[in-house]
Amino acid sequence: VSGTQPVQRIAEQLIRVSCRRLPADERAEHYKEWSAEVPAILCDTSVRLPMLRAVRALRYSAGISRTTRYLCRTGSGVRRPSTWRDGAIRVRPGTALRLVIGVAIWLVVVLAVVSLVRAFPQPPVWPLVVGLTLAAAFDASCLVDIARAQQVRFLPKWAWALICLTQVPGGGIVYICVGRHRRGRPARPRSAQLP
Amino acid sequence: MCRLGAVKLTGPLERVLRVLVADPAASHYGYDLMRATRLPSGTLYPMLARLQQEGIVAARWEEQRPDAGGRPPRKYYRLTAEGVRVASRELADASAPSGGRRYAAVRPAYGTQGGAQ
Repeated sequence: VSGTQPVQRIAEQLIRVSCRRLPADERAEHYKEWSAEVPAILCDTSVRLPMLRAVRALRYSAGISRTTRYLCRTGSGVRRPSTWRDGAIRVRPGTALRLVIGVAIWLVVVLAVVSLVRAFPQPPVWPLVVGLTLAAAFDASCLVDIARAQQVRFLPKWAWALICLTQVPGGGIVYICVGRHRRGRPARPRSAQLP
Repeated sequence: MCRLGAVKLTGPLERVLRVLVADPAASHYGYDLMRATRLPSGTLYPMLARLQQEGIVAARWEEQRPDAGGRPPRKYYRLTAEGVRVASRELADASAPSGGRRYAAVRPAYGTQGGAQ
């Protein structure tokens, strides 16, 4: 049993971190509920190997992260009416438009770079340095924005960060256009217009 | 009346409802349901939250029992009276041989009289 103690602590810590997303008044109760299941999983004798039980407990607490993400997206508790279908109707056209705009801006940037290189077969160093610095600064600001946003759209935060890092100006532009919530808040206002 | 009607009966939801309907009076705690439905926590708990919001499922805290050996109290879930009704109808629809699933509520499936309308 002593071997399960660190696992239990790690699992509880994961749940605690996930619960930080929730509003303060709901946090304690959810944490109490979910952390109470961890010992049950670790002592579940129907899974014979303690190792597998530990894996299961960790998978359980990782799933709690998904749960709290869901809860803070829809708003937990009874106050809010059902909004299950919003997602299907809400963002489709806006998002396509934003994606097109993002790709267009990115193409303009690429074209500008290409034409610059064409115009100067031996390009002076300073525009290059300035351009690279600007691109790096823009990307850094995108990464900071991703890190600070409560929530991003469509992809998990790490995927957006990866896109920003791999496509240096393009990823950031697409993130700003598609993945970013206005003012970093969940986009909920339009659901009020739905019947 | 039946607000579950707005929801497609997806595979995981169907599994949860089946487990709950199998013994409507029984209360289940989270891990118990996870084992019975073989769903991961990241699927099950959002669903329970949804069902709770819809009034299909009610939750209550277990009282602290002295014989529990210091185990923290659990939260138990069970179907409400309306939940039993809605869930069993949904499940009956889902397993109907017409294969109509939810569409049966929208328009009659081929070969039926459409008496439901």
